[in-house]
Amino acid sequence: MIRRFLRSRGMRKFRRNRLALFASGIIFVYFTIFLGIVTTEILDVTGVTEAQLRHGTRIRVLPRLHPGFLQSSSTEKRYLDINWHKDRLGRVFDRDLSSVELPRQALGELDLAERKVIEAPLGEVIEQYEAFLAAYETLDELFYERDDLLDYMLSVELDLKDARKAGDEAQSEELSAEFDEIQAEAAEILPLFDEALEEAEARLADLMPPPTGWDGVVYGFRTFLGSDVSGRSIACKGFYSIKTAFQIGFVVATIAVLIGTLLGAAGAFYGRWVDNGVMWLVSTLSSVPYLVLLAVLAYMFTGHEYFDNPTQYPELQLVKLYTAMGLAFWISTCRVIRGEVMKIKELEYVQAATAIGFGRPYILLRHVIPNTAHIMFINFSLLFIGAIKSEVILSFLGLGVSGQPSWGTMISNSKDDLSNFFFWEVGTASILLFILVLAFNIVSDALQDAFDPKHV
Amino acid sequence: MSLIEVRNLVKKFPIRGGVLNRVVNNVHAVRGVTFDIASGETVGVVGESGCGKSTLGKCLIRLIEPTEGLVAYEGEEITGLSHSELMPYRRKMQIVFQDPYSSLNPRLTVQATLAEAIKLHGVVKQSGSAMDDYIDELMRQVGLRPDDKVKFPHEFSGGQRQRIGIARALSVRPDFIVADEPVSALDVSIQAQVLNLMKKLREELGLTMMFISHDLKVVEHFCDRVLVMYLGYVVEEVRTDDLDNTAQHPYTRALLGANPIDDPDDRRPLVILQGDVPSPINPPPGCPFAGRCPLVMDRCREKMPPLEVKNGAPVACWAVEDGKAPEPLTRAGSRSPASA
Repeated sequence: MIRRFLRSRGMRKFRRNRLALFASGIIFVYFTIFLGIVTTEILDVTGVTEAQLRHGTRIRVLPRLHPGFLQSSSTEKRYLDINWHKDRLGRVFDRDLSSVELPRQALGELDLAERKVIEAPLGEVIEQYEAFLAAYETLDELFYERDDLLDYMLSVELDLKDARKAGDEAQSEELSAEFDEIQAEAAEILPLFDEALEEAEARLADLMPPPTGWDGVVYGFRTFLGSDVSGRSIACKGFYSIKTAFQIGFVVATIAVLIGTLLGAAGAFYGRWVDNGVMWLVSTLSSVPYLVLLAVLAYMFTGHEYFDNPTQYPELQLVKLYTAMGLAFWISTCRVIRGEVMKIKELEYVQAATAIGFGRPYILLRHVIPNTAHIMFINFSLLFIGAIKSEVILSFLGLGVSGQPSWGTMISNSKDDLSNFFFWEVGTASILLFILVLAFNIVSDALQDAFDPKHV
Repeated sequence: MSLIEVRNLVKKFPIRGGVLNRVVNNVHAVRGVTFDIASGETVGVVGESGCGKSTLGKCLIRLIEPTEGLVAYEGEEITGLSHSELMPYRRKMQIVFQDPYSSLNPRLTVQATLAEAIKLHGVVKQSGSAMDDYIDELMRQVGLRPDDKVKFPHEFSGGQRQRIGIARALSVRPDFIVADEPVSALDVSIQAQVLNLMKKLREELGLTMMFISHDLKVVEHFCDRVLVMYLGYVVEEVRTDDLDNTAQHPYTRALLGANPIDDPDDRRPLVILQGDVPSPINPPPGCPFAGRCPLVMDRCREKMPPLEVKNGAPVACWAVEDGKAPEPLTRAGSRSPASA
């Protein structure tokens, strides 16, 4: 059956479409990531536990709002990062570590994923910290000096421009002399500052060396897209969201296609009151906007022991989404299947089955529903991507996923930072979603072209 | 003894409409048909499209519930039986459909199609090799290669599909088969093959058949007796031995006259019917053929003539008089229809 399908003329036509093949490759990659995360969570094959995997999307890996690859931090940002590290280190080292029962554990609080405080006797670690602190203090002084100087330089430069515009020869000469003086001073201080910055960074690297080897690769993955407002890894969140999206897509599409097919087929096949009931349900449910339904369900489940307990049952958080989308999405499938079954039930092979003496339910399940498989297949793929898009929109609105990362919450959390040109989080979430939706559309378009009986 | 008895069978399809979805009118598909089919006999049913011949055939095997009247099989009434009570009769009565393309489930292999019917009726008690042998035998019987049973319907040609349809009907070893225009969707050359196959099977298995067709020549070749239908009525019941000379009803004669004849010397009076069949939704009172009949009388427009035996054969026409046989259609000396 599958081999026949793969050898069919439509499939050959599909295989000739390079773009569609590329797009199916992309979907395959997404699917592999999804499967990887799911098998890790359920089967525990890789040695990484579910808690660790989720943990990866929650822990700090970098200072807050750190840019990703290709974009280097500005001097100010580098200083602020050092400052951030200093505050964080201070909170641990200011305690008297010698009196702490397990100093290593206290130091462990400082770990940024794979980037850990060096393994050394406590005295050495404290020495390293003090070296960093000394470097930091020099840097701090220089930073304020530099800051004042740059401010002063800016104001003089502006005054100079104004004076030149006004044509005040005497003043502009005076100002330009002052400007030159400041520039000379800046030329002295700025390299000093840069030196101090590098020194502080080097001391920090001594204390918390960047991981090497396999850890380095993992840490590189965690940091290559930067960090969000709490210093969490954008890459981890973005890729983990693939699982969230696919999970919702699969569950919702399966529920919707199953309900839609069964009700639509039963309504069309049995007619009379069954059909009236199904059509009543369809028109009633299609008159309820599913956003409202979702809001009601979310409100209903608020504080529920099982359905609103992100720490213990994070998966059950999604039940309200499944319910609302499942109830909303089966309608389109139901209508299409109903129309198709109305056609099929008059076909002669159905009559032949009746003549042989099969019961109505058997004919429905064996002869009618299998012949709507192509519609179920198309509807599944449409609903799958539709559910993912809806999930992102709902999460953006704050009605959707909680307890695990989602592209929607990523976009909604970082939209304020866009005005500071921090595009990494919005960009990651949007591009991952965009590629998936585009690939899906290309593939379904190509499938439709390839299997459309009018064009084959 | 008659295998099938049909008494005053009526089928109306309601047309619903209006706000309350009430029955506003009916399509009168079959309007009071009475006839018998003897065991081993093949009865043809001919008529134009929409005259109710397929509906009649489907009412006989309870694919359609008749509105009134009764159908009896071996003297037992089968109208009104429930699904489970009907099961033994389902095994005895089967149908072969017109369209070989829609009469087979495209998702089932030939083997699966045949096996499910065989299993349902327990024709072969145990599955496994006995079932395989039975299916192979069935395939051979209808002239297909047993190896092809693993194929899907779309891998066969129209004629082969029709053979599969016949095999499915035969799979439960029926006594009576309704053949609903089994050859009208096929090429003429394939038609002959399928007809000959059915003829052979009829003789081998001693089948009783009802053969529905719009082709009078095919019916003449294949059947013992023919029912001519017009807008829900049987207007004539005649033996096919010498159809050209014994047909009495003007409609039958017009149908016969419209057949092309392979004999340049045979110049028969050509009756070309004018007009169309009246609508079955609001059929006119009286004889439905009155509007097109060359022998029409005032009486025809008022009352439908009953199916009475005149000149030895039942016919429903006021213009046919008992004891005054109509002129034969064939001129003396011309050949009778060639047998295939």
